[in-house]
Amino acid sequence: MIHLKKDETKLMVAVHGWSGIVLGLLLYAVIFTGMAAVFAEEIGIWSAGHVETRSAFERPMDGSIRRLAAQTPAKYHEGVDLFEIGDHNLGAFFHRHETDPDGTLVSRGIYYQLDRKGDVAKALHGTGEEVFGPRNDDALSSFLVDTHVRLHVPNPWGLLLTGIVGLVMLVAAISGLLIHRHLFKDIFTLRRSASPVLVDRDRHSVAGTWSLPFAFILAFTGSFFSFFGTIGVPIVAMAAFGGDVQALNDAVFGNPGRPDPRPATMGNMDRIAADAIRRTGEVPTFITIENFGRADAKVTSFHPPKAGDIEPVTLLYDGAQAKFLHTKPSIGTQPSAGGTLAAIMAPMHFGNFAGMLSKAVWFALGFAMCYVTFTGLRLWLARRREDMRSLEWLDRTVMVVGFGLPFALVCSAAAFLIAMPLGSATYWTPAAFLIASGVAILGGTTAPSVAALGRALQFATGLVLAGLVPLRWISGGPGWGRAIEAGQPIIAALDLAFLLAGIWMVWRAAALPARRLPFPARPVPAE
Amino acid sequence: MTMLLVLVATAISALILHALCLGDPKRNRAAGMREAGQTKRQRQVLTAAICLPGLICALTGDAAAFLIWLGGCGVIGWSLAIWFSRGAQERD
Repeated sequence: MIHLKKDETKLMVAVHGWSGIVLGLLLYAVIFTGMAAVFAEEIGIWSAGHVETRSAFERPMDGSIRRLAAQTPAKYHEGVDLFEIGDHNLGAFFHRHETDPDGTLVSRGIYYQLDRKGDVAKALHGTGEEVFGPRNDDALSSFLVDTHVRLHVPNPWGLLLTGIVGLVMLVAAISGLLIHRHLFKDIFTLRRSASPVLVDRDRHSVAGTWSLPFAFILAFTGSFFSFFGTIGVPIVAMAAFGGDVQALNDAVFGNPGRPDPRPATMGNMDRIAADAIRRTGEVPTFITIENFGRADAKVTSFHPPKAGDIEPVTLLYDGAQAKFLHTKPSIGTQPSAGGTLAAIMAPMHFGNFAGMLSKAVWFALGFAMCYVTFTGLRLWLARRREDMRSLEWLDRTVMVVGFGLPFALVCSAAAFLIAMPLGSATYWTPAAFLIASGVAILGGTTAPSVAALGRALQFATGLVLAGLVPLRWISGGPGWGRAIEAGQPIIAALDLAFLLAGIWMVWRAAALPARRLPFPARPVPAE
Repeated sequence: MTMLLVLVATAISALILHALCLGDPKRNRAAGMREAGQTKRQRQVLTAAICLPGLICALTGDAAAFLIWLGGCGVIGWSLAIWFSRGAQERD
């Protein structure tokens, strides 16, 4: 398609290969968990057996917020974040902004977790980083998201690492586009009865070509999220606000206006939530209150995009009068191209802009990109197998990560289902992942061959995956009838998906040796 | 509107993708089939026809429908390539 000179092509092939091989395994882990995290919300509902369908913002919450405000020191009324936790219950974080001795901007306050009746189930004191973390009923979805976002490496290093991995994906996508001379001619050509190199090459390039636009989108938006807070904000704050991150936040995301610290009774939050839902047609994902109990209180509600759009909607209200002010751009006070671009980053990355349909497409594209990464690594090795027998350790490592990661993830899901009713899911979900990873690594060192290792891991993954369904029932999760009756058909749908996928994987692993016959390559005649 | 538009647009593109896959000359040669496949001109027309529903989604201003259509075409195209290579393997 794009014709480069011979030496330029050689250089691009080297860039493509080495960019993939150096960070390819991390890239695979990030993409794989990202693919699963597309359905993190649904996995959370399925795993914890949540059957409530009405949002906390659709139920009365005003009384609870006033009660919490009355028992919270006034110094923490500077900001109140409201969001959903567990089975559509309310979480409220009353806080103020502080700068730590090391210069880091933090939010310190009290995080209340409410139960279904609106009573305080738990109150945690500390900074946002200290109080927010996985809970017993969302340990599995939190674990998935955390693995994808920062690979469990502490901030900011985890975010920087996944950001670099995103850039590597971008480099691999661009170099792949440049080196593939017959991008469209080869788009349907998958030779199966050929040498391993040709088979792997076709698999890699066909999946890569079909998912190429999304490789750019996901790599760019993923890097944006990783670098935004770790590099972008501190640099802009240093350059334009003398290093004051709070001043930057106020200028870019805040609501300008003259401060009015006079005490004032807050407007009715139920009225604000109902009005916001009526205006956008969507339930808020998040509500934040600035200066609670003051005359200049402002309420901002964040909503998913309206039907047919991909830009999330943000509405601003006068907090004291519960009066709608205006629709708020994501950046600044006036709508701008930059603000729109920043706003659509999240929906473009998560694929959550049009319900299950867009999520399903993003999931499938994530799978295609996992496939591209894995077959790319296999292709790199297959091309060198004849010359470099010493690379078998890498071949085994690729297999351990490629099939060991799904195995470890389904084991962590199984552990969650067992441990959640006992209240120890936050411990056992990551612990089971580590134990299963250890088993996969041990298998990698002891398996008689790489093919046998891959087969065993696929077989075990399929078994555990199919076993998740009876395990969920045994551990007290709602049955299909109850879930559908309660308006949560996603529980039955995921059960069915896991069952079918598990059976298919077991069947495929059992049939694998017969389907891997070493056919000679069949040359494709030139036109 | 988004759902209906995207389903119709993706279904039309999928049908044409199917035709494009079946008539792909290189795929046919690799699978050892005797059919010559479509000409370059025919394939260009079919490719334009595949893009047309996406263009309509974009022109109606439905960004969500356009993105789902684009992603859906990618997934369907890849699935067709895999599906029809299985057929070729079974013939072997």
